Amino acid sequence: MSEMKRTPLVLGNKTLKEITDDICAPVETIPSKEWVALFLGAKTLFIFYILTIAVVVSTGMGLLGVNSPVAWGTMIITFVFWVGIGHAGTLISAILFLFRQKWRTSVARTAEAMTVFAVMTAGIFPLIHTGRPWLDFWLFPYPNQRGPLWVNFRSPLLWDVFAISTYATVSSVFWFIGMIPDLATLKDRAKNKIRYTIYGVLSMGWKGTAKNWSHYEMLYLILAGLSTPLVLSVHTIVSFDFAVSNLPGWHTTIFPPYFVAGAIFSGFAMVITLMSLVRIGFPKFKDYITIDHMEVMNKIIMMTGLMVGYAYGTEFLVAWYSGNDYERYVFFVSRAFGPYAWSYWTMIFCNVVAPQIFWFRKFRRSIPVMFVVSIFVNIGMWFERFVITVTSLHRDFLPSSWGQYAWSMYDTAILVGSFGMFFTIFLLYLRVFPAISIAEIKPVMNVGKDEGGH
Amino acid sequence: MQKYNENQNDTAEQKNPNHPIIERDRTYWRSFDDLNNTEEFQKSLQTEFMSSPLREESASEGDFDNDNGSSTDKWARREFLKLMGASIALTTGAGCIRRPVQKIVPYTKQPEEVTLGVPNWYTSTYFDGTEGFGLLIKSREGRPIHIQGNPSYPLNKSAVSSRAQASLLSLYDPERLKNPYRNLFNEKKTNKETVQTSWEDLDKKVVVALQKGSVHVLTGNISSPATNAVVSDFCKAFNATHTVWEPLATDDISEGQKRSYGEALVPQYRFDQAKTIVSIDADFLGTWLTPVAFTRQFAAGRKNPAKMSRMYSFDSTYSLTGSNADIRFRIKPSQQLDVVMGLIQELSLMGKSVPESVKEVLAPYKGISEKLGISAEAFKKVASDLLKTAGESLVVAGGLQTRTEDSLQLQVAVNYLNSMLGNEGQTISAAGGNPNLRAGYGSLIELIAKMQKGSVKTLIIYRSNPLYAVATDFGFAKALKNVETVIYVGDKMDETASFAHWVAVDNHALETWNDSEFSKGVYALHQPLIRSMYDTRSFQLSLMTWAYLANQGPKRLTTYETFYDYLRAFWKEEMAPKLARGQDFEDFWNDLLQKGVHGDVSTSVAARSFKTEAMSAIRKKTATTGYELALYSKVQIGDGTLANNGWLQEIPDPVTKIVWDNYASVSIKTAEALKLKEGDIVEVSVGTQKLEVPAHIQPGLHDEVVAIAVGYGRTHAGKVGNGVGKNAFALVMNKNSEALFAGLPVQIKKTGARYTLVTTQGHDSMEGRQLVVQATNKDYQASQGANIKRHHTWSIWSGHQYNGHKWGMAIDLNSCTGCSACMTACQSENNIHVVGKKYVMQGREMNWIRIDRYYVGAVENAETVFQPIMCQHCDNAPCETVCPVAATVHSSEGLNEMVYNRCVGTRYCANNCPYKVRRFNWFNYAKLIEKPMHMALNPEVTVRPRGVMEKCTFCVQRIKDGKNKAKTENRPLKDGDIKTACETACPAEAISFGDLNDENSRVAKAFKAEERSYALLEEWYAKPSVRYMSKIRNNDKITEKKADGHAFQSQSAVEGSQV
Repeated sequence: MSEMKRTPLVLGNKTLKEITDDICAPVETIPSKEWVALFLGAKTLFIFYILTIAVVVSTGMGLLGVNSPVAWGTMIITFVFWVGIGHAGTLISAILFLFRQKWRTSVARTAEAMTVFAVMTAGIFPLIHTGRPWLDFWLFPYPNQRGPLWVNFRSPLLWDVFAISTYATVSSVFWFIGMIPDLATLKDRAKNKIRYTIYGVLSMGWKGTAKNWSHYEMLYLILAGLSTPLVLSVHTIVSFDFAVSNLPGWHTTIFPPYFVAGAIFSGFAMVITLMSLVRIGFPKFKDYITIDHMEVMNKIIMMTGLMVGYAYGTEFLVAWYSGNDYERYVFFVSRAFGPYAWSYWTMIFCNVVAPQIFWFRKFRRSIPVMFVVSIFVNIGMWFERFVITVTSLHRDFLPSSWGQYAWSMYDTAILVGSFGMFFTIFLLYLRVFPAISIAEIKPVMNVGKDEGGH
Repeated sequence: MQKYNENQNDTAEQKNPNHPIIERDRTYWRSFDDLNNTEEFQKSLQTEFMSSPLREESASEGDFDNDNGSSTDKWARREFLKLMGASIALTTGAGCIRRPVQKIVPYTKQPEEVTLGVPNWYTSTYFDGTEGFGLLIKSREGRPIHIQGNPSYPLNKSAVSSRAQASLLSLYDPERLKNPYRNLFNEKKTNKETVQTSWEDLDKKVVVALQKGSVHVLTGNISSPATNAVVSDFCKAFNATHTVWEPLATDDISEGQKRSYGEALVPQYRFDQAKTIVSIDADFLGTWLTPVAFTRQFAAGRKNPAKMSRMYSFDSTYSLTGSNADIRFRIKPSQQLDVVMGLIQELSLMGKSVPESVKEVLAPYKGISEKLGISAEAFKKVASDLLKTAGESLVVAGGLQTRTEDSLQLQVAVNYLNSMLGNEGQTISAAGGNPNLRAGYGSLIELIAKMQKGSVKTLIIYRSNPLYAVATDFGFAKALKNVETVIYVGDKMDETASFAHWVAVDNHALETWNDSEFSKGVYALHQPLIRSMYDTRSFQLSLMTWAYLANQGPKRLTTYETFYDYLRAFWKEEMAPKLARGQDFEDFWNDLLQKGVHGDVSTSVAARSFKTEAMSAIRKKTATTGYELALYSKVQIGDGTLANNGWLQEIPDPVTKIVWDNYASVSIKTAEALKLKEGDIVEVSVGTQKLEVPAHIQPGLHDEVVAIAVGYGRTHAGKVGNGVGKNAFALVMNKNSEALFAGLPVQIKKTGARYTLVTTQGHDSMEGRQLVVQATNKDYQASQGANIKRHHTWSIWSGHQYNGHKWGMAIDLNSCTGCSACMTACQSENNIHVVGKKYVMQGREMNWIRIDRYYVGAVENAETVFQPIMCQHCDNAPCETVCPVAATVHSSEGLNEMVYNRCVGTRYCANNCPYKVRRFNWFNYAKLIEKPMHMALNPEVTVRPRGVMEKCTFCVQRIKDGKNKAKTENRPLKDGDIKTACETACPAEAISFGDLNDENSRVAKAFKAEERSYALLEEWYAKPSVRYMSKIRNNDKITEKKADGHAFQSQSAVEGSQV
């Protein structure tokens, strides 16, 4: 009886050369029609998004549905949504790396790319949601001629500025460092001078020497270590934007863990969405991003889904237990049964009910099912932020000032357009960078250990 | 600039060496070189300058003839161009920073009394057709910017109505006519062309028309002795007839007085001296006669909750008076007479002697309360309260809602009741009313009859808009076609002006001299605040000019060149001998201008005797069932004259909180019966007249009432006012030469169409929270702080230290009637923008102070409470901590300050504000201010750009001003030196502002000593600098306590439709 063997992480009994060829193929060949179609769609949406932003910035925030009492709306909701999406990438690439989870290798690169792009997409919102975006630089503390006039370090929004900029910096550096050996591979395979030069510059003189590898591994480990707390801190601080205020429905101590769990939840869902698409767009990648990978991620989705479900429940319990009239009203009246009850129940269905289907192995391993569920989760997590932002604001202390969000077509344009931006960048990434880490995938293969015989 | 450049290019071209050299005339020569025309000289001519400041000196110094010279020169020019390019680039870069170009032109000759930056205050007056005010108008560099009351004026003191304050904006209305016009009509008067005309032309033609005779003058109430003199002189000159008519005429009162006491007049009411007030649809706090003065009196009678007056209201609309009543009964208009007769009947049963003839009349009213749907016990209580306070009670009835077929009988019955109780002469006095309220429908109907017969050849209409406000039933429009020449004197091309042959464009009131007498013997001069902005001429001067040109009429009419001269002569000859008491006229005149008033309100207690025969003529009508019409006017809009005023349109109706619209109010039961939802358009038909208006579901309305406000549906008001609401004047009926506004049977039908009514308040229930604390007089007797739940709050922080001043505000909810005059005051003082209906619907109204209105108690018969809310200037301000750029900060005097320059607009502060008082500039509203409306802006308050947050500042500019004044006078600041705009305008004196560190200030006392005071959301520990004092309802009930101590839990809520 042969010993128990793990299922291989790469299918198809590839040779090392085949792996390099497979992964480099999308970068080195003429793109498929599907890619072009997707790209044209995404790009059009992106241009539309830029125009929308231009109109909003030049005319005023009044074009969106924000008002009194709901002074934050689509932009903040979508900001939190995209920041949340980013978290899975860092979790996969950093935390799972530290825990030596080898299955992460084939999805880590793309997940990390998703993080960077999601943070880029998210980062635009706090800048354009202000009344006077041309003065946004005032949010940064720097010596200036205005006194000098410093920022208010007590404001969670300022913490947010630091959190997001740190996160963006660290995750893009981490992502880029991880790519250096592969960029060198691309350089070596380059057939024309331009390509050679560009990838040559990007690979930063990588030669593949032992010393190179040693430094690389060291740096990668350090960056993984640096990124790990960020997974927890960034969304914790984003949650402070809400939790530190005194608004019933926002002022909750459960927000930091709840936001982090939600972020990982939504991030994994987005990874599933993207990976399903990558598997369709580049069929060869099916050997690297296997059903096993997807299943593992689905398990995480189910677990984090249960965690957010638990957080939803806790909020109610605490609202009831606190005896605070205002907080009770927010949860027991306006959130669950008020004018925005539909959004609350949409959220509950998408985030808590839908992932329960993953209790069944058959569904965990079905690409169509997981694709649909991941879309549900994405929708649900957007609504979670909608519920938090809008339903808390729309009815607070003085009933006289209660109102509703005045959703306008610009809200729709901003929301949809942000996907255009994200997908444009993501599709470009697939064409320009190796979507799977060549250098990391090779060590996790069975090559040389268990050849043939099966 | 463009042109200039072109010229430069031309000269450059001439210097082009490629040009053929022009043969020079050498008769005159400058130098030998010139004479010889050397080559060097030729060259030097081509060089524009002999030397350049930028030329490298070393290269060719002193060697100009050298060829190097020109090459260096070239080089220098290039360098110059480079530098210039760079500096242009730099300046362009600098230009990117938004610095708008604004030209400030100083006075070249500074007027003596104007100090730049220091406002001047002038006394003046304002008259809105029924109520008049003594004013103190703030002028900055020659333009009026804020209107408040004249504290020495006895009727209104420093308070003024919203309309009076907003008339300032109308002065700067860009749609005011700028010169005289004439309308050229086709024969059938179905089409016309409006052309500009000159005063010469107009005067010439008008005089010809006037000389044909049969002249009639139609005006609104004129409350000015001098103007009345001009009009009567003019009438003498042309043998003209003067007709006085107002849409909201009060002739029912004067006619009722005439029947009861013999003389037609509007009496003086003294609500402050009444212990029991019964109002039968007289909205004396909102719209009836002189609401501001009445509110002052009413509030004065209730300042001390232990001895406050009791007010009963029998209300057929949900009026402001009904909202403030201690006990309110909902009735329908046809029951008004029943109520009064029922009360007289009860009183007679209680032992008040009643003549036999009256007893007979009273007989059918026995036990009427059951038929009115009012419990016999409650009804008896009204009567017994009246009896208990006989001589110190006051019964009033009036207003559009009472203009039913029985309106005169109602007035007679009310007068009888007052006489019977001995109130006549005490709380009502024949002396001291406004002697100039002569407007009536009777005279208008007579005029129309004459017009129909064709016996009116020339009609002069002054400040009156019959084509809008007279229903077609009266036939005014048709009759007007028979008038040969119609001359309209006004400042807008309104509904009536469009049908006038000549529009003799009038000055705005703020551009005109005048005088006033708003209460018998209380005189004031009306000073203009600005020279006529356009080619306009006052009505008075127009009449004088026409009389002069026709050379007809009394001497004084034709002698003076301006109305000012006439006015002075009139005062010198007619008034001063009576009033000056031997004082020199110039001194008297100047004193009067400075003080703004002469004389005081009569305190006469002479009682008149009631003519019993008027009473015995009253006949009871059989009670009817079915829906009844109740037309009413709104507090802000009134008769619709100022419909083009954005300030007034955007102030929500005090009770419904709906802006920019009128609507048919129906009760909740009626809405259920007719399956109506808020905003369903209904067809209301009265007789043959139909009107489609949206329905509004009003708690506390009688189930058989359809209440619609007049003053809306203007078609020629201007861009702002056109098409706002529907014209309910169309439903007025002319029955036996009486105008009927209420009690008419009405059919109401759902059309199926929908309409969005916009409110500033989407939720009407307090949800059991401690927001407006209400207690009854019994609760108050038991404990002064009744129904206030105090929270134990503590902090680990020491908090801010306020060593100098600490500003605070106290608001007495027991005085506040919700009239919303403070909102207009704030709007005018603080340059607050009007955003329009669409944006109010989206929750973008900008008002810094708002009046929250909540319904309390059973939905069917809900009580109303009001609460003014502005920035609470919290000591632990939640907004301050969350602003990332520190744009909202705490001052050393406890103010929460908003630094507009620093604000980036994250709106986090608004989210974190528990009181939701922060307003955001969603668009660049300042850019939308149309000229010359920018002249109404207060230069002491920043006009906020787009993207910044704003909110109440406690009128920080007034605080600064007060402090500076005290400093220059070298004295400490006194309580009352600084008054915020809202405080000044409040007729009820519900708002007091002051220094909490000054132990003797009113606010310090209210904060520390007043049991009724509480902080809003105290348990949230924001430590606001505003305290509210609980409202006391004098209704002899006892509030049931709830387990958690929160009183007055709401029982239900009626949701509005704010989206």
